[in-house]
Amino acid sequence: MEILGQDRREGLGRKASSRFSLFLLTAVAVLLLFSSLYSAQASVFRKARENAMDAAAPILSFLSGPITYVDGMVGKIGDYFRVLEQNDALRQENAELRQWMDEALALRETIAAYEQLQTYQAPPNARPVDAFVIGETNDAFAHSMLVNAGMQKNIKRGQAVIDDRGLVGRIVETGAHASRVLLLTDIQSRVPVYIEGAEVEGILVGRTKAHPEISFIEKDVQGIDLRGQRVLTSGAGGVLPRGLPVGVISDGEQNEMAVNLYANYARTRMVRVMNYEFPQLAPTEDTTISSTDALDG
Amino acid sequence: MGARAEGLSRLAKAATPTALGLFGVIALALPVRLFEGHLPMPVIPLAVVFFWSVYAPNYLPALSVFFVGLLQDLLSGGPLGLWPAVYLITQYIVLSQRFYFLGREQRVVWLGFALAAAGAGIILWLIMSLMSGVLLPIRSLALQMLATVAIYPAFGFAFSHLHRRVLVEA
Repeated sequence: MEILGQDRREGLGRKASSRFSLFLLTAVAVLLLFSSLYSAQASVFRKARENAMDAAAPILSFLSGPITYVDGMVGKIGDYFRVLEQNDALRQENAELRQWMDEALALRETIAAYEQLQTYQAPPNARPVDAFVIGETNDAFAHSMLVNAGMQKNIKRGQAVIDDRGLVGRIVETGAHASRVLLLTDIQSRVPVYIEGAEVEGILVGRTKAHPEISFIEKDVQGIDLRGQRVLTSGAGGVLPRGLPVGVISDGEQNEMAVNLYANYARTRMVRVMNYEFPQLAPTEDTTISSTDALDG
Repeated sequence: MGARAEGLSRLAKAATPTALGLFGVIALALPVRLFEGHLPMPVIPLAVVFFWSVYAPNYLPALSVFFVGLLQDLLSGGPLGLWPAVYLITQYIVLSQRFYFLGREQRVVWLGFALAAAGAGIILWLIMSLMSGVLLPIRSLALQMLATVAIYPAFGFAFSHLHRRVLVEA
């Protein structure tokens, strides 16, 4: 009996396991890797990822609760030590915001007057969906977050995700109850933006660093000092709505065009998915493609 | 009854390293922001793979390593096969060197882990650079591997106690 038990204890990987299966599985992994290289968006892989995401969502949301709590506690302890300077900063910010509020109220009146005009057509309303961040890819290269809202809440691929500060990223995978948000810093992230003031359009490209960079497509900006200018989504390509705040051009080298994002990924807990229908004359090709894609997979 | 309970406990013990690896993957997917995101999350599965490859390879067969890596790929949204390849190559290298580490001081093993983590980081960087077509910045990866190496002694201590006191003891 005892010898049998001895055998069974090693049942998970008998002696012979080591070399052969190691080689075999490494070969399988490398093959998988190369096939994902050539078909990164293959529906099989995407389906697998979406299923895994759905399966892991309950575990992740269960575990992320206490983590958020502890994080909040740690944050509070930090706040105790910085309460004076924070108070000062807030007072200053409040004063500035009051001026902005006056200006906004005046603008609202003006806009209301314009909207009375016959020719005015209201832009389609966004129907935002709120969601909590339940997971995050703490990887060196992949930068994404999982949120607890999916197809059941009518979330689709390509939709913009914002938090209280600005654009966070866009939806790239949707499960039934969870979705993946590709952050602006991810190497795969490409977001059409424009720079306020200069009216220059470009593409915000993720570089896996904290500050994504703008690569220009529209016009040469050599010699124009754009540092400190606001960057907003341009809506080009018809995926993200126009005018979502993204960040400001950082103070570094003039030609570098790195962007300080408004979004602070270390603090992003709650996000809003912009369920935005683009105003279009022709039927939206993009959404039909993605929906058939989802059906295929 | 007794025999069945014993069998179950044996199974649980045999599956513990695999479960720890899977737990490490879940930990990587959780929104833990250590020091407001300034400190990257250590790659716990790498420590699991290293430890059990050195001390008791039977407890962590290649198949387990493969699935731990695959789950990590699925949850991180990266290309499938990336982490299985990294972990399996690490396991292969460690297995070929394990007799050097057996019975050595923890400091030496730690150094070995640092080398293994560096190797894994280089493989990861090469694959990702190849796939994205540009040479990727190495800083965040280096920081993550540093965090993993820095925390390894704690894991090594915990794992060796777990292994000696719980898993091997009948």
